[in-house]
Amino acid sequence: MNRTLYKKEMKGSFKLLLIFAGILTMYITMIVGMYDPDLSDAIRQFEKLMPDLMAAVGMTGGNDTLGGFLSSYLYGMIMIVFPMVYSIIRANGLAAKYVDRGSMAFLLAAPVKRVTIAVTQLAALISGIVLLLIYCTVLEYTAAQIMFPGELPFAQLIRLNAGLLCLQLFIGAFCFLCSCIFNESKHSVAVSAGVTAFMYVLQMLANMGGKLENIKHATFFTLFRPEGLLLANTSAWIGAAVLFFSAVCFSVAAIVIFKRKEMQV
Amino acid sequence: MGTIDVCDLTRDYGNNKGVFHLNFSISEGEVFGFLGPNGAGKTTTIRHLMGFLKAQQGSCTIGGLDCWKDAAQIQKNLGYIPGEIAFFDEMKGSAYLAFLQSYRGMKNAGRTKELIDRFSLNPDGKIKKMSKGMKQKIGIVAAFMHDPAILILDEPTSGLDPLMQNRFVELIMEEKKRGKTILMSSHLFEEVEKTCDRIGIIRSGQLVALDDAQSLCARHVKTYTVTLENEETALCFAKDFDGVQNAQQRNQVTVTAKQTLEEIFLHYYGEEQQK
Repeated sequence: MNRTLYKKEMKGSFKLLLIFAGILTMYITMIVGMYDPDLSDAIRQFEKLMPDLMAAVGMTGGNDTLGGFLSSYLYGMIMIVFPMVYSIIRANGLAAKYVDRGSMAFLLAAPVKRVTIAVTQLAALISGIVLLLIYCTVLEYTAAQIMFPGELPFAQLIRLNAGLLCLQLFIGAFCFLCSCIFNESKHSVAVSAGVTAFMYVLQMLANMGGKLENIKHATFFTLFRPEGLLLANTSAWIGAAVLFFSAVCFSVAAIVIFKRKEMQV
Repeated sequence: MGTIDVCDLTRDYGNNKGVFHLNFSISEGEVFGFLGPNGAGKTTTIRHLMGFLKAQQGSCTIGGLDCWKDAAQIQKNLGYIPGEIAFFDEMKGSAYLAFLQSYRGMKNAGRTKELIDRFSLNPDGKIKKMSKGMKQKIGIVAAFMHDPAILILDEPTSGLDPLMQNRFVELIMEEKKRGKTILMSSHLFEEVEKTCDRIGIIRSGQLVALDDAQSLCARHVKTYTVTLENEETALCFAKDFDGVQNAQQRNQVTVTAKQTLEEIFLHYYGEEQQK
């Protein structure tokens, strides 16, 4: 890893991280605040009125604890989609954009191995994702402790976010792989955003249940099971492990491709 | 074997684009001018030397190291100015140079300050807002700051004003005296004529001429024999036009018209259009 490059890239991530942290702060505090230990009536009414739509975005209550409430209303969409968008934007900025613009020439025209460059860029991407999730964890716990002291067991939250981290690492590594494969920014973004968004849409369809439920086998989002993680289900851990292992594979592939690829810069 | 060796280098982009069976060698301490019309394959060749592209066929080595496999090793002692300079736009010029210094693992600023002064560069603005010439100057500083033994310069003076072009030529001459090996592509004949020991002309991906500047000129000499009225006028004519009076026919004078490098280049460049 090249420390100078890492610092530069972390500085480059800072603004974007701040924006996403801001958005997530708003949603997290709002949704934690919406929890009502006695009756989450309003949302249940929504569920009755439009069950399909609520199911599509993963909002199927059923669990009356704060953890359960958060897992359905926060981890169905918000905690998935926002870090995912961050990964798409940042992964593209860390490799494909430089090759596209030509500034990669300066990174290559130095006594720094290509593998080192790729590892550094990947490290910067992962650091951003980890920082964002650590921030969310602290915020969720603090908000829960302030508004509903003792309602959210720390271990539960950690399990939930550890699973989420596996999912986000999977997405991040996939986006970085795209960024390393393509020499043009637009192609890198089109594929990384296209595939992940399409997978998410499949997940939404699968969530609606009935015949559509089978679609879940076609999307990686199925491997992330917030309810299972809350209860520390083995199947939920296996899902997270598969995501993590795939993330490692994508990362290795991305580094190897970056090392071998030809660059017209 | 020279410092920079290009051996049977081939890269076929189709439609006769690319470089084909390119062979040349640059020895240590030599300044090599690499010329050719747009799209002839200069930059493609340079990208191979820099290890950005892998040779489809043949090989290129710098200091005996393979340009693709050992790129990072080679870069320790190499300075490069890209043909199209693209920086990290959001950075300031000075921050960018500081970044490069640290990124390269340099212990101090090297020649940075001296070069900034030499080219009257003000690196304090954002690179995005800088003019083409300013960006080019930053590129020059970036290539020379670590005082490398080998320099690969792709149209290093594009965008510079004539004064700065002269300063650049001076810099190259100094570096040449200090024993640097330089490969330089250019479209400026004066620059090439002043600095380069040898010149390679590439056209449609093939090397069409490779020689030192004098020999290239000598090869394109035209001689005329002029017959004048009498010996005396012949003598005057010979004096005025730098000719040689014929020993037997005293009223005849032979004058040689040397073509300038520019004419020679145009001759090589132009052949393509005649085809």
